[in-house]
Amino acid sequence: MALSDNTDSALEPQGATPDADGAEKPRLGHADAYWRFAGTCTQCGHCTKACSSLTTAGLTLGDIAAKMLAAERDAATPEELIENIAYDPALVQAVRGCFFCTSCKNTCFAHNDVCDLIYNARCDFQDLGLIPRYAWSSVMVDEEWDIFKAYRAIYGIGMTDLTRHVETAEHDAATDCAIAFFPGCSLAAYAPDLTREIFATLEELGGKTTMIDACCGSPLKSAGFFDRAEALCDRNAAEIAASGAQTLVCVCPGCANAMRTALARGGLDVSVVSLSAFLVEHGYQPKRPLPDAPLFLSKSCQDRNGTYLEETCAALGIASDTPSVFHGCCGAGGAVSAFDPARQSQQADDKLSFAPDGSLVVTMCPTCTYTYAYRMMENPRDLTNKHYAELLFENQIDWPRVFAELQGMYTGEYGPWLAQVFA
Amino acid sequence: MTATQDKSVAIVGFGVAGFNAALALRTAGYDGEIRVFSDTEGAPYSPILTSYYAGGELTAEECHPWSQDAIDALELTVEAGHPVTELDTAAHVVRTEAGSFPYDKCIVATGATPTSCGFPADCGYEPLMLRTMDDAERLRNALTEPSCRRVLVSGASMVALKILEACLKRELDATLVGMNPHILDCNALPEAAERFERGLLEKGVHLRLGQTIAGVRIIEDASHPLGRWLEVTFSTGDVDEFDQIAVAHGMRCNLGFLAEGALETDCGILVDDHMRTSDADVYAAGDVAQATELVSGTKRIIGIWKSAAIQGQCAGTTIAAELAGAPIPPEGRFAGAISTNTIGVDGTLFMSAGSIELNDSREVEVREGDDMTVVYVYEQCPGDDAASGPHKRLVGFNITSDTDIEGSVAYDTGAMLTMRIEQGCRR
Repeated sequence: MALSDNTDSALEPQGATPDADGAEKPRLGHADAYWRFAGTCTQCGHCTKACSSLTTAGLTLGDIAAKMLAAERDAATPEELIENIAYDPALVQAVRGCFFCTSCKNTCFAHNDVCDLIYNARCDFQDLGLIPRYAWSSVMVDEEWDIFKAYRAIYGIGMTDLTRHVETAEHDAATDCAIAFFPGCSLAAYAPDLTREIFATLEELGGKTTMIDACCGSPLKSAGFFDRAEALCDRNAAEIAASGAQTLVCVCPGCANAMRTALARGGLDVSVVSLSAFLVEHGYQPKRPLPDAPLFLSKSCQDRNGTYLEETCAALGIASDTPSVFHGCCGAGGAVSAFDPARQSQQADDKLSFAPDGSLVVTMCPTCTYTYAYRMMENPRDLTNKHYAELLFENQIDWPRVFAELQGMYTGEYGPWLAQVFA
Repeated sequence: MTATQDKSVAIVGFGVAGFNAALALRTAGYDGEIRVFSDTEGAPYSPILTSYYAGGELTAEECHPWSQDAIDALELTVEAGHPVTELDTAAHVVRTEAGSFPYDKCIVATGATPTSCGFPADCGYEPLMLRTMDDAERLRNALTEPSCRRVLVSGASMVALKILEACLKRELDATLVGMNPHILDCNALPEAAERFERGLLEKGVHLRLGQTIAGVRIIEDASHPLGRWLEVTFSTGDVDEFDQIAVAHGMRCNLGFLAEGALETDCGILVDDHMRTSDADVYAAGDVAQATELVSGTKRIIGIWKSAAIQGQCAGTTIAAELAGAPIPPEGRFAGAISTNTIGVDGTLFMSAGSIELNDSREVEVREGDDMTVVYVYEQCPGDDAASGPHKRLVGFNITSDTDIEGSVAYDTGAMLTMRIEQGCRR
């Protein structure tokens, strides 16, 4: 059997420790997580039917844990450990094909935590060199350059005047902020005018505001750099604490989840609220009437308990039983696009297929908005697609321009630089 | 020698709680002896899967979640086939017919046994049950007997419905009899139960709700392939004929090996948040343990798989730390759980979580959709402080869906609401 195309050519084992006899015994860094998961899985098989990746792999979640443990148990050398995993296409599919959408968890009678399992497996894959660099080199959001920072640098999108808690040439570091605003990578990069409009509204309604112009670490987690993702969130939390803000307003439910966890980990008493909830609480009235097209709400899979969806309905002034589709990811989750782009497209198509012709798909997470917009550009259909903030504020997102600019980054004068930075 | 190499931990019972206790001991670094006592010879099985075996959806092997390799990796000493006759907490000894075994720490994970209480005991017919692999084997054999066409399932609980599901998988004519007006009376409010009942009726199930089995007579009949059939008289006076009867009348904790007063008990063995019992060296986990239930904040038996697994892990982690003289890590604390249930019978899905017991401080909201009914149970809360104020929190829900599709909105909704209940309890 050939080595998977998705493995690095230079496989340097890192997960090896000497055993009692002094021989080098290969160990997975996260074996405890697999044991923990295996102990709670009945192997009933319902999760497999809930997920196209697991169906393709023919595995249950418990199988993933069991296979990782078996790979370790059956390996006499670090090289064998790598081969035991890399030569198991079903295992590679199941680990790298996960969107982290939790459809499988939701279907599991025990609600076993797929995210914990797969994040740990991704970390072991990363440690063993089983995730190729091209899959993550452009989204190392804790480094000097990532795709969002590059885009903003190339197209002159700066927000330093809004990051008031950080001292710049324009202002001192403010420690008396009431609100910290976390727009997330996609919104800040692709919709800077909308981001500024939201910022101004927050300040008008809630008092002195600063912007946390950073990532929540999601791409790092998907790539198997869980510790780095947590460290990034901890740094964000420290910035929030330094700003004095008692409220963190998040546009995206995924950012909110990550930052809520980090703030709790740091023992910081900062309330994390959705933009929608904040606007409703402060009596905000949308600046534009709702479109005539029927609305179809796309629940973000990161909105685990559905409150974000309800709060958005309240902000838009629509009934919470407005047609919506819950299940599954838009296709952007888990860096699946770097592993199986066709499946990512299929996932977006599947989710959009729930929307009736002529309807307006309303997304909760800006990355979902991006993903649907791209998919609709590639495969036009009788739908429109907007982020909920576009329905509440004046500024809109110009996706054709954004996509043209993204493509232009690589073909223009910055192309060689990007190729070198993200090599 | 390490601090724990000369220690011995006894685990009485080798189900999900016992297995997880053993693996938590090992993953926490405990390197002493683990002696597991099991009343059967086989590897641990999942009681959840036994109905799938009886219904022909899984093989017997597939009912065992853990491979022999995985079990071997835990380096256990398994005393199989000899039920524990006594746990002598004073002498720190586990007694079986095969001998007496000393322990430093002991985990009781003996689970529960189904009861046929209420079934006419003197009728001469031993009803089918469902819990163990032996039960499932007997049920499977009975349902696949070519002469078996009509089955009566007595009880309206989750287990009864799982037996019913196995009957439908075998394309048998099935009747369900239950003493209460609706099925799932412990788990479902009427609006959700009624939709599920409609689904069962559409699938050809006969429902006899609000009645019980008053009598059973074995009618010898040489012309019948089984040589007999069963004449059942119901409490209404109706009489009907069946080939087999399955009974699911509740469960009882397996505590027969405990001397009275040896441990503090209520319905089960009372435990603290580290699964410690009233004896400092005895722990309990799983269906035999009465631990923190989040909605009520009281100690209850939470008879679900996940809870048993986590309780076993907490017990194992705690013991490993205590024997090593180390602080107990966070994983050793059982943070409480809520009851959750999911069952699909031939395409009709029911899910519930939390508490649906109604009282003056609770209110019910029902949302009827084209293919799904959702029943919410809210509780009025006074608010712990001025900031939170009076508010209502979700404490329970039912979902009945006319379709059972993995990954569907019904499952997503159930997961969302379960999470909200848990978050509300932990807030």
